[in-house]
Amino acid sequence: MEKYIFYVLALIMIVSAIASVSSRRMLRSVVYLLFVLIGIAGIYFMADYNFLAAIQLTVYAGGIIVLIIFSVLLVHHIDMELEVAKKSKRIITALACLIGLGVFMTTIYSHPFIETTTAVTTTTADIGFALLSTEAGGFILPFEVISILLLAVMIGAIIIAKGEDVTEEPPKETPLVKQEKPVEKKKELLETEVTV
Amino acid sequence: MELSSFFLMRHEMALLAIALILIIAEIFIPKQKKSSAVHLAIFLFGIHTALGFFPLEENSLFGGMFRTNSLIHFFKNVLNIGVFILLLQSADWIQEKIVKLNRGTEFFILLFFSLLGMYFMISAGDFLMFYVGLELSTIPVAALAAFELMKRRSSEAGIKLILSAALASGVSLFGISMLYATSGSIYFDDILVAISPNNLTILGFILFFAGMAFKISLVPFHFWTADVYEGAPISVASYLSVISKGAAVFILMILMFTVLKPLMEVWENMIYVVALATMFVGNLFALRQQNMKRFLAFSSIAQAGFILLGLITGTQLGTASVVYFVMIYIFSNLAAFGVVQAISLKTGKENIDDYNGLYRTNPRLSLIMLLALFSLAGIPPVAGFFGKFFLYTAAAREGYYLLVFLAVVNVTISLYYYLLVVRAMFLRQSENPIPFFNNKLYMRLGLGITVIGILVLGIYSPLYDYIYELSAAFNH
Repeated sequence: MEKYIFYVLALIMIVSAIASVSSRRMLRSVVYLLFVLIGIAGIYFMADYNFLAAIQLTVYAGGIIVLIIFSVLLVHHIDMELEVAKKSKRIITALACLIGLGVFMTTIYSHPFIETTTAVTTTTADIGFALLSTEAGGFILPFEVISILLLAVMIGAIIIAKGEDVTEEPPKETPLVKQEKPVEKKKELLETEVTV
Repeated sequence: MELSSFFLMRHEMALLAIALILIIAEIFIPKQKKSSAVHLAIFLFGIHTALGFFPLEENSLFGGMFRTNSLIHFFKNVLNIGVFILLLQSADWIQEKIVKLNRGTEFFILLFFSLLGMYFMISAGDFLMFYVGLELSTIPVAALAAFELMKRRSSEAGIKLILSAALASGVSLFGISMLYATSGSIYFDDILVAISPNNLTILGFILFFAGMAFKISLVPFHFWTADVYEGAPISVASYLSVISKGAAVFILMILMFTVLKPLMEVWENMIYVVALATMFVGNLFALRQQNMKRFLAFSSIAQAGFILLGLITGTQLGTASVVYFVMIYIFSNLAAFGVVQAISLKTGKENIDDYNGLYRTNPRLSLIMLLALFSLAGIPPVAGFFGKFFLYTAAAREGYYLLVFLAVVNVTISLYYYLLVVRAMFLRQSENPIPFFNNKLYMRLGLGITVIGILVLGIYSPLYDYIYELSAAFNH
C-alpha cells in the first residue's frame, strides 16, 4: 500500500514540477510549485517525519508560496508570457536535461545504500532540545547564525526596496519577455485620435 | 559549556557587536550628520582588526560545529586587514555619493554581515555551518552590488549575482546532500572516517566543487564575474574579487586537504583541467577588455587559476603557498582597484584609454598602479613574484612539470596585457589627460598600506616560514 502512495505522490510531484518550469505564465508556475511542495510534505509524512511535514505545509506551502504570489502580482506586467524558445534550443536543452538525469539516476541507483531498520519516531520535543543544545548534535549555533542571516537579508531588502527610480535610459536590447499589451493600446490611441 | 569558551569566538562576537552598534547608530545619528557614521565604522573596525592579532588557542565549540586553530585565526586576520583597506578606499565614495542617498551606514552593516558569514564559513566544523556561512557571506553582497540603484547596470549586477549565486549554492547543497547520503554525517570529522571513493560520493563532490568554483569564479562557472564587476560599485567588485574569493579558496582548500583527501585521485585530475582552462580563458579574455573593471575581472579569474596550482598538491607546502599567495593577491588587487576607484570617483572615467598620459598628471597614482600590476603579473622585486614562485615550487615538487610550464606561458600572456595599461599610463600621450587631483586622507591611507604590503611582504621571509608552520594543522 505504502508503495502505491509513494508512486502517486512522486507522479504528482514530477508532473507538477515539469509543468512549473515549462509554463509560460508566472502565476501558473507558482501554483504548480505549490503542488510539488505539498507532495514533498506527503513524502515526509510517509517517512514518519511528522514535524518536518507540518513545517513543510505551513512554511513552504502556506507562507513562501503566498509570498511568491504577492511578489508576482506586484510585478508590473503580470499577464506577460515568456517567449517560446527556438526549436534547436529546445532540443539541446532537452538533451542536456536527459543526459544529466541519466547520469544522476544511474549513480544513485547503483549505490549500495544500507537499509536502516530502526524506526524511532522523532518527537517535537526531541527537535526542540536538539535546536537549543550546545553539545555534539545540537544546532544552536546554526540556529543563531540563521537569525543573523535573516536580519542581514531584511536590511538588504529594505535598501533595495526604498531605492529611487531608475533615471538612466532604458536598455537597448530587446527584453526577455514578449509584450502584448502596448500594441492594443496603440490601436486604441489611433481610434481615439480618429474620433477627435 | 563554560561562558569563557565564548572567547574562542571573539572575532565573530566583536564583528557582530560592531554591526549592531552601527544599526543603533543609524537610528540615532541625525540626518545632517550621517557621514559621521563612516568615521565610526572605520574606527570600530580598525580597533577590531588590531585586537584580532592577539593569539587565540586551538579548540572547537558546539560539539565540533565551530572550530578554530592558528591558521584559521591567521586567515581571519588577513581578511580583516583586507576589509580594513577596502573600507579606507571606499570611505570617500560613500561620503560623496552614498550618504546623500541616506544609506551610508547600511553599506557598512551589510559588508560586516557578509564578513561575519565568511568567518563562520572558514571556522565551520560541519557542512551545515559551512552552508549557512556561505549564504550569509553571499546574500548581503548581492544587495551591495545593487547599491547604486539609480544606475541600471548596478541593479542588473545585483540581480545577476543573486540569481547565479542561488543556482550555485543550490547545486552545492545537492552535492553536500549526496556526501551526507554516503557518509551518514554532516560533521567533517565523521565524514573523514566514512568517506570512500565510490560513484555517488564523487558525484556529490563534483557538485559541491561546482558551487565553490562559482564563488572563486573558476572557468566553466565564471560567466557572472565580468558583468557583475562592471555593474557593481567598485568597492563591491573589489570585495568580491579579493575577500570573497580569498575566503572561498581557503575553505575549499581546507576541505580538500582534510575531509575530501580520500578522493584525491579524482580531484587531482579535475583541478588539473580546471586550472588550465581558468588560466587560459581568463588571460585570453583579459587581452581584449577596454573597461578597467572588466579587465580586472578577467585578470582575477586568471589569478584564481594560478591559485589552483597550490590546491592540486595536497601538501603542507601547497597550503602555505596558497595562503601566502592569497595574502599578496589581496594587497595587489586592492591597490589596483583602489586606483581605479580614486580615478573613477574624481572623473568618472573607467576605460584603459582614459589612462593615457596619467603619469604626467598623477605620478603617484600611476606608480601605485604600476606596482600593483607588476605584483599581479609576478615581476621579481615585488611580492607577487614570490607568491607565484612558491606556487610553482609546490606544484613542481609533486611532479606537475607540464602544468607549471603552461602556467609560465600564461604569465607571459598576462604580462602583455598588464603592460598595456602601463604603456597607456607612462608612454602614451593624450590631448585631455585626467587632470591632477589630491586624494583625501582615507584614500591615501588605503593606498599607502597596500603599497607597503606589496613591497614588504615579498622581502620579509619569516612571514612565509610562519605560515608554513601554521599550515601543519591541516596536513597530517
